Amino acid sequence: MHVLANDSVTAISTSKSNGNELWIASDELKAATGFDLKPEGACLGELCVPIRQDADNELYESDGETGWVNATALAAKLNQPLITDTEEGVWSFGAVPSERASTLESAIAPDFEIADRGGKTIRMKDYRGKKVLLVTWASW
Amino acid sequence: MWQALYEEINDPNFEIICVAEDTMGEEAAGEWFDATNASYVCIVDPSHMISTLFGFINVPAAVWIDEDGRIVRHNEGTYAAKHQLEHKLAGTIKFGTDVYSNALKDWVAKGADSSFVWSPEEVRNHLKPHTEETALADPNFKMGAYFKSVGNDAKARHYFEEAQRLNPDSWNYHRQDWTYDGEVEAGKRWYKKNQDLDGKLYYDKLELPGEK
Repeated sequence: MHVLANDSVTAISTSKSNGNELWIASDELKAATGFDLKPEGACLGELCVPIRQDADNELYESDGETGWVNATALAAKLNQPLITDTEEGVWSFGAVPSERASTLESAIAPDFEIADRGGKTIRMKDYRGKKVLLVTWASW
Repeated sequence: MWQALYEEINDPNFEIICVAEDTMGEEAAGEWFDATNASYVCIVDPSHMISTLFGFINVPAAVWIDEDGRIVRHNEGTYAAKHQLEHKLAGTIKFGTDVYSNALKDWVAKGADSSFVWSPEEVRNHLKPHTEETALADPNFKMGAYFKSVGNDAKARHYFEEAQRLNPDSWNYHRQDWTYDGEVEAGKRWYKKNQDLDGKLYYDKLELPGEK
């Protein structure tokens, strides 16, 4: 199983998948999709989707040892676009719409985290207090 | 491309973040960055995460972000200053104007008082929102890039074509796909497609005073 989300490709070692549902072990969730499972729910930055973890439900199941998050149901709740290649077991997640919506409403630059060419992590919010020219280009 | 301007501005409170949107990652973009000898921040973004987050349709794109994290200007299809590069097919190409770089310097010097900054409304109107269909283009594109990277060309083509179909305005998807067929083909098809547009605005005008 491979999950494509944000700027990463993650091979998940354990998963439950039945038909159109992708369940990811809670300790692999963050690496795969960026969502952090906390007691209050699955959080991506300041956005948290409440997930009960004391009993099995649509978003969460536990077999006693491992907790599983239903990544597909989570995406559906957030209206997050998702494309699946069932033949090859690849799940490709698009950006969470509320991230884009807040850029558009407030014209605030969205936060992101990505490695520069030297391997150092660059975060948009680290540049508060400075003026930034952000440019994109491509060699093609 | 920006190094000369960056050195000229030379302001500790001003940074340039330069993002290469290249599916083939460091391999494709690396030598361009190296040739520039940049002292500003350089990032390779193979899955186009940053373009997608900001709602950019094409490269190049540029935003000005102020000290509070607000986007105060947004342009696409523009180049900073005068550039010159040696293209394998076309020879020496010169492009760009100084108008944009003068505007940038004005903003760095004057901040919110610069006449070149935009209101939040103008910025919002400019960063076109995605419809549901276009929102699906991005995960399709990422799927195409993934299959290309593992050598499954047939699946890569399928997903790239889906991305193009869902978001036909996004030249990013068109142009990235064509590179895989070889530079000559990519170049020809890109120019033809550009001509087909006929009256439809492909590049936003810079909307700067003195611009034709």
